[in-house]
Amino acid sequence: MKDVRPWTYAALFGALWGAIEATLGTAVHLSKLPLRGTIMGLAGLLCLVCLRRLQPRAGVCLLAGVVAIFLKIFTLGGLYPGPIIGIAVQALALEIALTGAGGRSIGAAVGGFVALATNPLQKLVTMWVVAGTEAVRSYLLLLQKSAASIGLEGLSPTVIVTAIATATGAVGAAGGLWAWWVAGRVMRRLGKRA
Amino acid sequence: MNRFARFLLAMSVVVVLFGPLPFAAWAALIAVVAAWILDPPAVRAGLRFGAVLAIVFAASITAAVVAWASGPQRGIELGGMVLLRLLVLTVAAAVLVRSVNAETLLRMSRKIGMERLGLVLGLALNSLPRLAEAAADVWTASRVRSDGTVAHLRRLPCVGEVLLAHTARIAEEAAAAASLRGHSALTRPGDVLRTPVRVVVVTGSSNGGKTEAVTAVAGRLQTSGVHVTGFVQPGEFLEGQKVGFVLLNLVTDEKAPLASLGERGDGDFGTRFQFFDGGFRLGSEALSRTASDSVVIIDELGPIELRGQGHMPAVRKALAVVNLGGAVIVVRRSLVPSLLAELDASDAVVIDVEDLGERSVDAIVNALGALSCAG
Repeated sequence: MKDVRPWTYAALFGALWGAIEATLGTAVHLSKLPLRGTIMGLAGLLCLVCLRRLQPRAGVCLLAGVVAIFLKIFTLGGLYPGPIIGIAVQALALEIALTGAGGRSIGAAVGGFVALATNPLQKLVTMWVVAGTEAVRSYLLLLQKSAASIGLEGLSPTVIVTAIATATGAVGAAGGLWAWWVAGRVMRRLGKRA
Repeated sequence: MNRFARFLLAMSVVVVLFGPLPFAAWAALIAVVAAWILDPPAVRAGLRFGAVLAIVFAASITAAVVAWASGPQRGIELGGMVLLRLLVLTVAAAVLVRSVNAETLLRMSRKIGMERLGLVLGLALNSLPRLAEAAADVWTASRVRSDGTVAHLRRLPCVGEVLLAHTARIAEEAAAAASLRGHSALTRPGDVLRTPVRVVVVTGSSNGGKTEAVTAVAGRLQTSGVHVTGFVQPGEFLEGQKVGFVLLNLVTDEKAPLASLGERGDGDFGTRFQFFDGGFRLGSEALSRTASDSVVIIDELGPIELRGQGHMPAVRKALAVVNLGGAVIVVRRSLVPSLLAELDASDAVVIDVEDLGERSVDAIVNALGALSCAG
């Protein structure tokens, strides 16, 4: 019989991720906590990296992403574009990075970097979809003025967004390595060789 | 009527996302009316107080930022647009969400030829209660073991780790339970397999020497005068490929074909093999000779049995015999968690024939001996 474990693992880890997004994610988004995207991004990294280490098959991260999006939409979360785009980008980034790195820890770091670095860009895209180009321009102007008010004058919006993306990406890379380490502990707990 | 309302709702979403403000206002009104016709409780649930407050908050922030950058007129216009867009998206999502469940999803995925994706999504939905139960258990265990809130917070990474391990175990069980068939049963606990003795579970990968090991054990026990019942199922090979199984009754040495590879790879019970009633009958007969002090050997229990079919009815009866001498059950590695979850035995010893190699026969006999002594 064909081994169906990659499918069931993707279903279960996607369900766990979707459940975390639908419960904790909805709570942190509604409470407008700072760094909520980063917090939820790290939770997603943990689920995806652990899944990929337990089932090292190409495509499992993408499938888990589809499951998580499905649960996010069809349970508590609702059809809010931001988190859905976030989940899709994160699943895609981890899938490409881990497949490209041959399932090594560097893939988790690169995937984590890309997944979290795209957070600020996702926000801009979501804002563009919901509020249009002018709102995005206004937001970038607000960023520029805020930077100027703390002494960072003359910085273009592109530089500011890039700096923010790099900083969150660095957190993501560290988070990816941390998720790799946790996944190793989970494997040992399950009696598998890490 | 419903089809027209659905069309109106879909068109309204398009107009609100891409049309100018006056059109968007009318489209929003039409969307709410259409959604109300389709599913009034969904509209009430979607436009609950918290959601409306969040929409107004998001629109106000946008209005304020744009007003600061481009003037109050543009701020009000864009704030209004955001308000309408979020309102319509929320209402449309609420209607969509309530009209979809695991069964409709499976039906839809079958229609587009992606049944397995539908099963995966169905499994994810069905497994949510088990995940929630596991999370609650892990959380409670952490609370009980932690002396105060600080200690509990320190344990949080460990809580996450245990929850991930639980998730993996549920995935293993789900894979074993139905191989993505009968999705609604994937996370439903099966009937308990009761036995008064401890059980020796023999495992290893496919073609890893499990059958050879338990056949050797049966021979050694019979030589020592132990009454052995049950059966083994050696594979049949053609050019290195497994093409079927025969069932060998350990009491009478009778053989019967049990399964052969389906012609187009599609067989019974969701496997690649077609099964024969004669094989199951002989298996049942072999198990029916189990008596007090017998050692029963069952090679092997697969996904079919763990779904309650195949040899399982006869296995249940054999394991329930009073004063049974011992039981040896063969399963592949991936099914061990599932079997252990179903067993209602006082204890079970798991022996992996690939880990022990040639020593596995001794290990199984010793485990049975220990059981006899304990008994």
